[in-house]
Parts: sequence; structure tokens; C-alpha cells
Amino acid sequence: MKRPLQKALKVVFLTLYLMVMAFPLYWIVITSLKPQKEIFSFPLHYWPSQLTLQNYINIIKISKFHIYIANSLLISLSAAAIVVCIAVLSAYVLARFRFRSHRHVMLGFFLTQMLPGFVALAPLYLLMSKLGLINSRISLVLMYTVGLIPFSTILLKGFFERIPSSLEEAAMIDGCSRMSALIRVIMPVMLNGISATFIFAFVQNWNELFMAVMFIDDESMKTLPVAMNSFVMKFDVDWGAMSAGTVLSVVPTIALFAVAQRFIVDGLTQGAVKG
Amino acid sequence: MAAKKEKKMLLGTVAGVLLIGVLAGCGDNGDGGSNGGSGKKVTLRMIESLTSPARTAVLQEMIAKFETANPDIKVELISPPFDQADNKIKTILGAKEDLDVLEVRDQTISEFSNNGYLEPLNDYVKDWPDYATEVDVAKTVASLGDKLYFITNGMYQRQMFYRKDWFQEKGIQPPTNYEEMVAAAIKLTDPSKNRYGFSFRGGPGANGVPDTIIQNYNFDNIDHDDSSFLKDGKSMYSTPEAKQALELYVKLYKEGSPKDSINWGYQEQVQAFTSGVTGILLQDPDAIPALTEKMDVNTIGTAPMPKGPSGKAFTATGGAGWGIASYSKHKDEAFKLIAFLSSPEQNTYFAIKTALIPIHSSASEDPFFQTDMYKTLLEMASKPDEFVNLKANTKYPGTSQWGQVAMESGQSLLLGKVSVEDTLKQWDKFWADQRANLK
Amino acid sequence: MNDEQPSVIRRLRTGFRNSPRGFIFFSLLPTLVLVLVFTYYPFLRGIVMAFQNYQLFDLTNVHFIGLDNFKTMFNDAKFKHASINSVYWVFISLILQFTIGLSVALLLNKRFRGRGIFQGFVFYPWALSGFLIGLIWKWMFNSQIGVINDLLIRTGIIHERIGFLSDPNWALSSVIVANIWYGIAFFAIMLLAALQSVPSELYEAGSMDGASGTRKLFSITMPYIMPTVITTTLLRAIWIFNDPSIIYGLTNGGPAGSTHILSSLMLDKIMYGGDYGAASAIGIVMIGILMLYTIFYLTVTRSEKLGDF
Repeated sequence: MKRPLQKALKVVFLTLYLMVMAFPLYWIVITSLKPQKEIFSFPLHYWPSQLTLQNYINIIKISKFHIYIANSLLISLSAAAIVVCIAVLSAYVLARFRFRSHRHVMLGFFLTQMLPGFVALAPLYLLMSKLGLINSRISLVLMYTVGLIPFSTILLKGFFERIPSSLEEAAMIDGCSRMSALIRVIMPVMLNGISATFIFAFVQNWNELFMAVMFIDDESMKTLPVAMNSFVMKFDVDWGAMSAGTVLSVVPTIALFAVAQRFIVDGLTQGAVKG
Repeated sequence: MAAKKEKKMLLGTVAGVLLIGVLAGCGDNGDGGSNGGSGKKVTLRMIESLTSPARTAVLQEMIAKFETANPDIKVELISPPFDQADNKIKTILGAKEDLDVLEVRDQTISEFSNNGYLEPLNDYVKDWPDYATEVDVAKTVASLGDKLYFITNGMYQRQMFYRKDWFQEKGIQPPTNYEEMVAAAIKLTDPSKNRYGFSFRGGPGANGVPDTIIQNYNFDNIDHDDSSFLKDGKSMYSTPEAKQALELYVKLYKEGSPKDSINWGYQEQVQAFTSGVTGILLQDPDAIPALTEKMDVNTIGTAPMPKGPSGKAFTATGGAGWGIASYSKHKDEAFKLIAFLSSPEQNTYFAIKTALIPIHSSASEDPFFQTDMYKTLLEMASKPDEFVNLKANTKYPGTSQWGQVAMESGQSLLLGKVSVEDTLKQWDKFWADQRANLK
Repeated sequence: MNDEQPSVIRRLRTGFRNSPRGFIFFSLLPTLVLVLVFTYYPFLRGIVMAFQNYQLFDLTNVHFIGLDNFKTMFNDAKFKHASINSVYWVFISLILQFTIGLSVALLLNKRFRGRGIFQGFVFYPWALSGFLIGLIWKWMFNSQIGVINDLLIRTGIIHERIGFLSDPNWALSSVIVANIWYGIAFFAIMLLAALQSVPSELYEAGSMDGASGTRKLFSITMPYIMPTVITTTLLRAIWIFNDPSIIYGLTNGGPAGSTHILSSLMLDKIMYGGDYGAASAIGIVMIGILMLYTIFYLTVTRSEKLGDF
């Protein structure tokens, strides 16, 4: 008796939830396929009178979206990779060792999450200007890395703590150095945590707007969110271009989810803990 | 097995990406125009403020022409998104990061000059022949006191756009004064059809309409050199006429505009008109491309700005233009670029492409400005006694905050939380304080 | 072999690197340097402005004014209103994001047909930037040209258009809805990752004892993922509190300041007023609130051990 009811509730919840979540996406996709004049014509059309790819052609041909996508990919992936490398080390240390300033380091990390970034934006610009890093992709890679290290460390530390330390101790008795024990024995078991962190970092970088506006000047180095923001003009929002850009900007993230999904799902169950 | 392979691939891509990232970042910095020696190629850095993708393309085209004519000068154009642009310009100037030419607006001129960011151009224009044909309004908008801080690249002046078909349907004429406008707006309003009279804007930039109506209701007493004040030194918000004007404004919102518009900004205001929700729009000419692109042009009529009870109207001309950063290392080359962009030929081209009013008197003869959308502006310009130009008040520190103050208190007024009298008291105090604290 | 000295040094060096202290030092070094130089240093410089008359309009007249910025702030009705709004904004958003996110994660933790597609719909909002979310929802919420009103009228649910962003009774709820919509994905993915790491032996043992689904959830699953729950809810609360982008994009704090939260008020002072002093002062108060909240939260959840605080 209870089972079917539960199942029905589940189905209702899923369907409702899916509709609410999916509708904005539907609206964006439909808008991106409408001819320019139809986007704001009344009454609203829930299906285009005529499907067109013109908005997509425009943003590639006129707005050169492929350049921005490439920039965003390059910067977001690099920064996410560097973040993971650095944060794995510090998270491991913070999970496994107790040392005198342990508490302070953790507090210092937590505190970074509380700082309202806009207060620091102008001094940060000044600093980057003095370092000669304005208008270079490296400035964004650096900023994104720094911004994400604390959270990634906190996150990864949680994953490390779930792995028994007997694992790398055994490897070290077998003659591995601590570093190689970390890389060869622990990291493979941690793959789900690492992918989650990587994806999180990637997505944050992929979406970041304010620093990208400030630190990049050249058209050839601009990132996707900046390019999208330029469709907001004084008197107009170019929703045709904006919606097509939105669709294109969601694709890489979805693809990354699809790839990394296996690591998150299969993560521990295939790892050394069980086997 | 498969999982292992994928793990390796992931690690491989991570390492590869790391390498590329590091390499790609390094080559990009350092060519920011620091080669000051003579004979070498000079790089000018230039930033625009009123950015749109189409406008950037036009500018790049003009810059390319300049570079062909001046092979020893290279121009790097920075085009930040419109809503972040002024902030970015301020940050660059504050950090004294390399910059030569910048777009200054009527809203930013006093802040920039106050901080010493701008090079006065008075000496440069002496040797520039085209300055003679520049119209006076373009010069005053770019000056503070006797100093010229930028060469205007285009001017803005509001006119009335209205739905011809709606007016015909209701059998009414386009309004000539504010009372008629409010009456017309109320007539056109029919919420059941999702139709409203006036494209109201209560969000960013909300102060435009109430300030203009109040000025027009105080027409005879306004101090032309200090346009928020009367000749006797009191603020224009302190008079009984101001109360009349503001009551009319509230009526316009409550009875002739969409309720939602209390929070609208420029984009929604224009979108409502192009989508056929509203029938009257007061806007600058650079809104025209958005209108003609999305609407049937035959339904759009234009009319002069409404007048006040005196039978006359103040018109405010806004503008933006090119200035030189005070710390630029290449000022002469920078002015060369500005002079090129501001020549009658180039400026007229720019004005046509971006739908602005050109700065040279000769340009109004261009057939482009004889078309329906622009002829009203020319008509207004041809009757300077009826449509009196009033210089916008930009010298006070509060100018940049005023929009925000007027927006928030204005919204409280429109929601009925604060009375007309108390709102005016608040506004009067704001400006009285500004005047008292001016150095 | 015959060269004694270098090998000793080498051994000393590698010894230091392999000794716990050396390992700790080298592992934390890049992190600490980067965070101190690029996060704390600019921030401290920004904080100084709270005690200065620092107006963009007149940078020639920057000087220390003691606590004046704070006095002005505490006397400002807008500040009080924004503080109260912040509380609603954070807790309603957080609680709903978490409950929905957890339900979704629990559902996704089991295999079913169409899971991949479902997952895509759960996660995609996260792949949009905050400014874009603001823009899209502002457009959809518009009472005249927006699709939500149109949809509600066509389906006969309402007869009069609702000013989702312009009616002060609706505005705060509307921005919170957009924020919840945006934030579910974060919890869903983080909690899903944690759920995946629950060893299946625990469930097997639970099933043998005959525990029901709900029992298993509260006695096995939740305790196991508790550290993740505490960390993510704490951090999420902090981020929601600190992030102005959705409000900035949707209402800009309007109408009449009714949707300002502290962080959007701070941004407002920078973007429109150019008053960095006032903005920094709000920033300091925000950090103070967050610190108190964090201490309170960690005490209540008794998780000092978790983060080693």
C-alpha cells in the first residue's frame, strides 16, 4: 500500500520540479530560434512561427563567439586544474597533520569566504597594474585560482578525512615517499572528490564576470560572460544574441558534467576502500 | 579497465591544459604602449563608454582608416560592456594604468576633471581648423567653466515618439504640453488589452522626466547657469509650481503607465514601446535603431518635446566625446586621433551609424537627418526661442548621486508611501546642501 | 661515494621535505602566499577606506574621518531595512535550496530511466552566471512583456497581471525564488558526491536489520554525510549573504529600496554613489555578522572537531 503512494509522490515531485527547472531553459532555447522581430511581438509565441539559426550564425560570424569560448575554456580549465593541484596538497596536509598553526590556517581559509569582494576590487586592480598583469589571460587564471583555493581545500579536506590513513601508511611502509603515496594510492581513491572540486572550480571560473571585465582589455582575450554582457546595451538587450549565447555557454558545462559524472558516481565504490 | 584509461586521460588533459595556460598567459603582457621614443611606432590606448557591439564595429572601422593615414600610430580600442564601462574607466584612471584617449560623458565630466584625470583641450583646438564648424551646444556640453575637456562625438536630445495608429484609433492629436500628454496617456491606457499610454521609467535614470517637468513649470525663474536652481538661489523644488509639476508626474504614473514600470530602466522602457505595450516614449535619438528594427515604421510618429504652462520648453542636450588622459605620454598623437574622429566627414558618419546628432553645423544638411525620425529634432533646433536649450547641471559633486536619490525617493512617492510635499522637501534639501557645500 | 658533503646535504634536504614538518611547509606554501598576497592584502587596503572620506568624485580630498561612515550607516533607515531583508534572503533561500537539493540528490543517487536527462536539468542553472540569471528572470518576471504573467493569464490562474518585481509585496519573494532556482544545483551536486561515498556495506547492514527507507535516511545516510552538510550549508549561507549579483540584476534594490540586502546596498554605494568609504563600512559590518554567525552555527552543530576550529 505504501509503496505505490510513495512512488506516485516521487513522480509528481519529479515532474513538477522538472517543469519549473526546465521552463527557463525552454524559453531561452525557443527565443534563440526565433527571428529577431518575433522575440518581442505580442501575443507571445511559445513556438516560433519560423525556426531560424540566424541568431547562432550572427554570434559566431559577427560577434566571433568562438574566440570567447576558446578563451573561457582555456582560462577556466587552467585555473581549475591549478586549483585542484594546489588544494589537494594543502587539504591533505590539513586533514592528516595537526600542527601549531593548523587552526589559524583553517580560520584564515574560512574567513576568505566572508570577505565581500567588491571592497577589494579597486586595490586588487592597482596591485595587478603594478605587477604588469593587466590585460593578460594570466591575470584571470591567477585571480580565479586564488579565489577558489580556500573553498577547494575545505571541500577536499572533507574527502581526505573519509579515507583511512592506514592506506597511505601501508604504501609508505612499502617504500613510497609520502608524496608518491599521495599521488599513487590516495588520489585514485579520491577521484570523485577531485572531480567534484574540479567541476566546481571550472563552473565558477566559467561564469565569472566582474574581474574579467576589469582585467582584460583586448577583444581577442575576452571571456564569454563579458561578451554576453555586451549584448546589454543602453536602450536594448539583444535577446536573440543573448539567448543563443546562453545556449552555447551551457553546452561545455553540461558536457563536462556528463564526462565527470562517471567519476562521481563510480568514485569510491570502484576504489580501493572496497576492493 | 575503461575507468583506468579515463583516469589517465583526465590527468593528461589536466597537465596539458596547465601547460597551455601558463604559456598563453605569458606572451600577452607588456605591449601596452610604453615605447615613447620618437620615430618609433606609438601605441595609443583608447576606451569607449557607451558601448554596443554595433558601435564598436563602427569605431574600429574609423580607427582602421586613421591607422592607414598614420602608419606610425597604432590604436588599441578597449570596449567594456556598457553597464560596466564607466566603472572600468574610473578604475583605470584611478590606477593610472596606461590610457590616452577616453570617452567622457556629461555625467562623468565633473568627476574626472575634479580628480585631475583630464587634459584641458583648449590649446589643442586652437590649431584644429574643424573646431570652427562645431556647433556651440557641442562645445558647452564638453566644457566646465572655461575649460574644454572633450570633443563631443555625438549629442542626445529627447523627442517624443508615439504610436500613430493608437492616436488615430482614439481620435486624438499628439500632445504639445505636459497636461495634454498626461491626458492622452490616460486615454490610451487599457489594462485589459495590456495597453498603456506612457513608457514610464521609475528605475535607473528616473529623475529625467520629473526634473524636466519641474524645470518647465518654473520656466521663467530658472537660473540658466545653474539649472537645478532659480534665479533667487533657491532650488527649483521649493516652489508651488514644482508641486503642481510633481502631482502631474504622479498622475502620469498612476493613471497612464504600467504599474510595473516603477522599476523599469532604459531597456524596459524602450522594450515596452517596441512590444506595443505603451504608446508614448520620450527618448534620445540613439533609441531609434531599436525602434525601427523591431516595429513597423509606419506606426511610429515623432513630435517635439512637450511644453510647460509658459508655452515654451527647455530642452537639455546631452553628449559624450573623446578626451585625453592627463597622464597620457602621447598627447599629441592622441589629439591627432581625436581630430580625425571628429572631422565633419568622420563625425557625420559616426552620428548616422549610431543615431546621434552630429556636432558640425554642416552635417544637418545630410539627407539622413531629413528623414521622419530626425526631422522633429531639426525642427526643435530651428526654434531656439520656443525650445530653449538649458545646460545640464554637472558641476556639483552630488550630480552622480542624484539619479539614485531621485530614483529611490521617487519610488516611495509613486508607491504612495511619501507625500508630494515631503518628497519635494527632501529634494530641495539635497540640492540646497550641494550648493552650500560647493567649494 | 667519495664526495661525502653533498650527499649529506641532499639527505638533509630530502629529509626535510619528507619529514612531516617539511612536507607541511612545502605543501601549504603556495596556498598561503597566494591567499595572503592576492586576497588579504587588497582586502585590507579596501577596509582602510571605511575610516576615510573616500568619494570617487573627489579623490583629492581623501582623509581619515574616524567612525563617521559607521555613524551615517547606523542612522540610515535603508541599512536597517537591508539588514532585515538579508536575514529573510539568506534563510529562506538556504532552507529551500537545501531541502530541494537534498531531495534531488537522494533521487539521483538511485539508478532510474532518464536519470541522465534529469540530471542535466538539475545542474544547468549552475552553468549560468549570476548576471545572466538576473537578466533572464527580470525579463521573465516583467509584468507587461514577461512570459510568467503571460503563462499565468493564459492558463487562467490569474486575471490581473502581477508586478513581481515592482509590487513591494511581491518583490522580495520574487528575487528569492530566482535565487532558490539558481542555488539548488549546488546542493544537489555536492550532496550527491557525498552520498556516493556512503559505503554500501552500511546499507546492507541496515537492510538486514530491517530498517525502513526513512529510518535508513536518518540513521545511516544523514550521519555519514553530516560533515558535508554542515560545511556546505555554512558556506552557502555565507555566499548567499555576500552575493549581490542576482538582486543587482533583477531589481537593483527597488522599488524604493524594498529588496536591498546588505551586499547589494554595498554595491550600490560603489556603483552609483562612488562612495567607497560607506561601502567599506558596510563590508566590515557584514564580516562581523558572518563571523558571529559562523561561531554560533559551529557551536550549535557541535562541529568544532570537523573544521578544527
